[in-house]
Amino acid sequence: MSDLTMQHLTTEELELWAQGLLGAARTMHLTECTLCFAEAQQERRLHLTLSQLPLFAPRAGFADRVMAQVKVPKTSGEFRA
Amino acid sequence: MVAWAKEGHEAAFRELIRRYERPVFALVYRMVRDRALAEDLSQETFIKVLNALASYNPDYKFSSWIFKIANNAAIDHIRKKDLDTLSLDGAPDADTPDAIKATQLQIGTGGESPLDEVASKELGSAIERAISKLRPEYRACILLRFVEGYSYEEIADVMEIPLGTVKTYIHRARNELREHLADRRPETPPAKAP
Ligand SMILES: [Zn+2]
Repeated sequence: MSDLTMQHLTTEELELWAQGLLGAARTMHLTECTLCFAEAQQERRLHLTLSQLPLFAPRAGFADRVMAQVKVPKTSGEFRA
Repeated sequence: MVAWAKEGHEAAFRELIRRYERPVFALVYRMVRDRALAEDLSQETFIKVLNALASYNPDYKFSSWIFKIANNAAIDHIRKKDLDTLSLDGAPDADTPDAIKATQLQIGTGGESPLDEVASKELGSAIERAISKLRPEYRACILLRFVEGYSYEEIADVMEIPLGTVKTYIHRARNELREHLADRRPETPPAKAP
């Protein structure tokens, strides 16, 4: 067993794992450590839950209300995105 | 885009608002848990940012700048509100376990105050309630990381705190969220490792 598979996963590594981004060598540790495996599962549930949070938007006309109070400097030319 | 806005193009100003109004509003709303107040604070944020655009440093990420101002506005509001009703002895920067506990109880009351009808519908889920129980600083870190997808370094930038503190906050926040959510989990079968 190499050093890479023996060390417990750090918080950041657990987070990477939950996103499917942890390298294979470190992921191997999860097959050997029930402690980290349990942590990883909890982490994934948390990620799933947080990723399902709804998006919120302000009421319509927000931009107009902001622009009414913003000083736009004098300009020339056209805007292109 | 920001360069166009700096040159004074109204359409560019509007485009910046269009891009950031949702994420900025969502962050502030989850911080203060009051729609009308979140609208006011978000509006103030945009007005402040757009009126100061001439002095904006383009080396700095625009999104970081606007989130920083929005987050400060939300946290200032929460602290002010709590000062009205409770004493905050050393609370905002509490770093001993007891101090943190005390801070949680005090500042946490902001998140648990009765919500209006819309907010209770929108923010009433278990995860939203769990987020509301976090200290404001933890809450901001978690939202920036998991909702906005910011890196730890970017969060440190936005919150003006050291990288190590971001890691500590996120670690503690995540543990608290997992605790809050643990009670209502038996219906979900555990996921398998990939
Ligand atoms: Zn382990």
